Amino acid sequence: METVDISIAALTISFLLLAAPVFLSRVYRLGLVRPLFISIARMSVQLFLAGLFLKYLFLWNNIFLNLSWLTVMILVAVFSAIHGSSMRPKTVLVPGFISFLLATFAVVFYLNVFVIRLDYVFDARYLVVLGGMLLGNSLRGNIVGIDSFYKSIQKDNRRFLYLLSLGASHREAMLPYFQESVSLALKPTVAAMATMGIVALPGMMTGVILGGASPDVAIKYQIMIMIGIVVSTAISVVLTILMTARVCFTKYGVLRNDIFVK
Amino acid sequence: MIKFEDITLSYNGQPVFKDFSMEINKGEKAVILGRSGLGKSSLFSLILGFVRPREGRVLFDGTCVDEKTVWDVRRRTAFVDQDVSLGRGKVFEWFSLISKFRANAALDFSRDRIIGTMRLFDLEQDLLNKDISELSGGERQRFAIVAAVLTNRKVFLLDEATSALDKDLKAKVSDFFLLRKDWTVVAISHDPVWTGRPFVKIFDLEEGKWKR
Repeated sequence: METVDISIAALTISFLLLAAPVFLSRVYRLGLVRPLFISIARMSVQLFLAGLFLKYLFLWNNIFLNLSWLTVMILVAVFSAIHGSSMRPKTVLVPGFISFLLATFAVVFYLNVFVIRLDYVFDARYLVVLGGMLLGNSLRGNIVGIDSFYKSIQKDNRRFLYLLSLGASHREAMLPYFQESVSLALKPTVAAMATMGIVALPGMMTGVILGGASPDVAIKYQIMIMIGIVVSTAISVVLTILMTARVCFTKYGVLRNDIFVK
Repeated sequence: MIKFEDITLSYNGQPVFKDFSMEINKGEKAVILGRSGLGKSSLFSLILGFVRPREGRVLFDGTCVDEKTVWDVRRRTAFVDQDVSLGRGKVFEWFSLISKFRANAALDFSRDRIIGTMRLFDLEQDLLNKDISELSGGERQRFAIVAAVLTNRKVFLLDEATSALDKDLKAKVSDFFLLRKDWTVVAISHDPVWTGRPFVKIFDLEEGKWKR
C-alpha cells in the first residue's frame, strides 16, 4: 500500500486551516499572526530543501555522503544544544560533538545491524532518518542535563567545596550532581514512554503507518526508536558531562567561573 | 604546620592580600580576628586550594599546596564552614555519603561511633533520621563538627563554627577543640569562648600581626 501523495495545490488547502488561529489571534489580540507566518514560512522552505536533499541522498545512497550528512546533522545538533544552554560554546563544543557523535553512531549502528538487520547498514533511509530522530529527541535532554549539572554546582558551590574538604575526590564530589542531572535529562523520555500510545500516537509510528506499513510493524519501530532515544540520551549526556568536566574545573577541582555565558 | 608566604590575592580585581605572611605551628591553637571583608575565610580557602594566590605560596606541613598536593592537604584537614550546607536527604544519608569517599574508607563511620560523637555535642540519636532541611542552624553546625571529628583529622579550620550555638554549647565545642594537645586548631571567631583562653594565639588581620 503506497502513501497517497499530496499535490502542491492540495497542500496549500491545508494552509486554509490557519484561518482559525489567525481569527482567534485577531479577536483576542494574541499577536500570533506574524510569528506564526514567519515560522510556517521557515518550516516550509527548510523542509522543501531537506526533502530535495534527502531525495538525492536516498537516490545516490553513497556511504561517505550518508555518513558525512549524519555528521553534519550532529554538528548542527551540538550547536543548537550549546545555544540553548548557559555554557560558553568554546568550552563545550568539542566534547559535546564527540559525545553526540559516539552516542548517535553507536545506537544507529546497533539498531541497523542487530535489530533491523539491514544488508546495507549505511542505507540513507535508515542511517539518516533514525540518526535524525535520535538527535532531535536527545537534544533537549542533553541541554537539560549539562545545564543542570554545572548550574547546580555553581549554585551549590559552598557545599561542593565542603565535600572536597571532607576528602572527596573530584569524581566523588561531582557524583550527587551528576546523578541528579542525568536522571533529569532522561525524565521526559521516560515519562513519554510511560504514556505512549494512550495520550497520543507517536510521530514515528504515524510515519510508518502513513508509509504503508501495518500498525504491528509500526509499533515495533516505535518501541525500537524509543529505546534508541533513551539510550543515546543517556550515553551522550553522561559522556558530555564527563568530557566537559575535564575543562570546566580547575586542577584543584574547583568549578571555573568563565565557563558560563555572561 | 601552615605557612603563608608573601601571598598576594585578589577577587575580581579587588585586592584582598598583598605580600601577606603568617605561620601557625603544629599543635598550636590560633584565632583569627578582623572585620568582615578582610579575607579571614580566604585564608582557609587558600589552604584548601579553593582559591589560588596571584603571588606567594601556602605551605602545609612543609609542602607547597599545589594541584597535586592539595588533595592530600584536604584529606588531612577538617574544615567547618560558617554557613555549612549538608545538602538534601536524611542526616544519616549525609554521613553515609562522607563514609563512602575513598579517602575515608579506613575510618570508623559505624552507627555507634556517629551516635557517640553526636552525644558529645548534645545531639540526640533521633536526629539521624531527620530531614536535613528540618535541622536548625545550630544543629547543622554541630553535625558539621561531628563530621569533622569523625574524619580523624589533626588540623581543624573552624570558620565561625559555633556562631549559631548557645553559650553552654559554644563553651563545650571550644573546650573540645582547644584542649587537645596534638591538634592544630585555627578558628575564625570574635567569641570570648575562643579568644579568652590564655594559651590561644590571636592574629589580627587588620594589623597583619599576632596580638598574642
